[in-house]
Amino acid sequence: MSHQLPAILFLLPLFAAISMPVVCLKHRQWSYSISVAVLAAMVLVSILNLHNVIHHGEIRYVFSGWTAPLGIEWVADGLASVILVLVSVLGFLGVVFTGSTSPKDLGGRIIHYYTLILLLVSALTGIVFAGDLFNLFVFLEVAAISSYALIGVAGGRALFAAFRYLILGTLGASLYLLGVSYLYAVTGTLNMSDMVDKLPFLLSSKAVVGGLIFMFIGLGIKMALVPFHSWLPDAYTHAPESISPILASLVTKVAILAWIRIVYWVFNASIVINDIPILLLVSVLGTLAAVIGGGLALAQGNLKRLFAYGGISHIGIILIGISQGNQTGFAGGVFYLLNDAVMQAGLFFLAGMAFYHYGIRTIDDLGRLGKHSPWLTGSLIVMALGMIGLPPTGGFFGKWYIILGALESGNYVSVAAVLLSTLLTLAYFVKLFEALFRQPATQLNVQSGDIPFSFKLTLGITSAAIIILGLFSAPIVQLLLDHAMPPGL
Amino acid sequence: MVDAILAVLQRPSFLTFVILFLWGFYIMVTRYNLVKKLIGMYLVQTSVIFFLVSISVKKGATVPVLLSTTDPVIAASYANPLPHVLTLTAIVVGVATTGVGLALCAAIYQKYGSLDEQEILERLE
Repeated sequence: MSHQLPAILFLLPLFAAISMPVVCLKHRQWSYSISVAVLAAMVLVSILNLHNVIHHGEIRYVFSGWTAPLGIEWVADGLASVILVLVSVLGFLGVVFTGSTSPKDLGGRIIHYYTLILLLVSALTGIVFAGDLFNLFVFLEVAAISSYALIGVAGGRALFAAFRYLILGTLGASLYLLGVSYLYAVTGTLNMSDMVDKLPFLLSSKAVVGGLIFMFIGLGIKMALVPFHSWLPDAYTHAPESISPILASLVTKVAILAWIRIVYWVFNASIVINDIPILLLVSVLGTLAAVIGGGLALAQGNLKRLFAYGGISHIGIILIGISQGNQTGFAGGVFYLLNDAVMQAGLFFLAGMAFYHYGIRTIDDLGRLGKHSPWLTGSLIVMALGMIGLPPTGGFFGKWYIILGALESGNYVSVAAVLLSTLLTLAYFVKLFEALFRQPATQLNVQSGDIPFSFKLTLGITSAAIIILGLFSAPIVQLLLDHAMPPGL
Repeated sequence: MVDAILAVLQRPSFLTFVILFLWGFYIMVTRYNLVKKLIGMYLVQTSVIFFLVSISVKKGATVPVLLSTTDPVIAASYANPLPHVLTLTAIVVGVATTGVGLALCAAIYQKYGSLDEQEILERLE
């Protein structure tokens, strides 16, 4: 039974998504309850799967009896299982949050809206587990197509943002597919663990280098790495309030996971450090992203836009961590990825609540809010501590291990970039708090009742998770070091 | 230089792929009309599919169904089905993306009454 867990994890949201339009035909209010129930079940199963993988080793799931390299296989190793717990927990919180904030004028289309969310979660599960390069491409595209549609749901400016995302995202997917076909042409296989055995003898081929570069550019567009980030701020700012948290916390992070898989599992550590020094390129681009993203965030007035640029700078920090080519940096990068996903979800929950409950979209309006909400201010303070990286939050320990890793490999520019990006993060949160605690001349006249339970729950859990990840950082990093390290690093 | 050009001309299908890809990319970058951008995007997708097909050509090979069950299997006489299956999947993905893109175009046209990127951007200001 336990070796079926990866398939169960994928089929839960997929089956619910497909049966949703039929089951909810008569009772459209059921769609919310069904989504919440399915994702809650997914959280439990993913924790069971993590427990199972830690105690009994990785699971290689073979579809319909065709063993790799002929068939398609899924790999549930330590890294995938940890990330999957993150995906299911944040997917669950995202759907809970949707209860009070789904766009009002959807009517009967609300069923398709939940279908798309569940489809997105199942596609992300597929990306996390995929052990086959082409399988990864298909799931990347399923996730991307659901994201375009979900952003477009908001109407108005979101349509144009979604269209731009679609054009750039599809270009990225095509480049990724081109890279896959280069590697396929050279090695004759698509299976990751089969390819890793064949590649070391083929390094003289330019097609291997070309394929790796094309895949990097393609996934770089998907993860909004700095030269290719232009689609992200518009798309996440104009997306429906309830969708931004899921997209911002999961879609870009899972693209980073796909990239980690290709660098360390399809190629291996010694190749990407010595023979094809792609890690150097990733490290340089990560450095640029960390600084430029932070600098651009400083110039934003809209809350969601500010958080979106903050996310772009943090993607740079994660890439700095994983590109150092040593265990400390890698564990720090993955640990920071977990933290950043939680923080991004929390920040967009906060922005969504500020808009739905108080009608606030910009930093200036935040200052003019007459009465202060303890939920808003309290969770904002915790998330700011996490984003800046002060102890005892997880953000501090993530950056700590990343800096240790960079020092270990003597990469002082990366250390400086992490510190500079921390200062920039501090600067834009100071700007935010200055607005929040200022006594303004004009006050917004906000009529608001009690804060809905779903807002309290999502904000409470994400804020608590930021602190808990910090308090238990040592066991979590140890777990990553023991079970999630790439072979040969 | 001449050698390089001659080497490229030895691979006409690869050259065709490069031209198609860059043509599509050029249309995506330079055209303001959203539907034209989609056409460019589709050209880029199709060029990659063309590349996949072109690398899997095997001269003198037949469909991958065994000609005889008693003779030893000679791999060179059968086409490899995998790239063609990949191509089919990539086409399906491309069609789905184009469908979502056209739906977005239709919604944008209903909302702004134009498909010209610059006019829409002016209206957004």
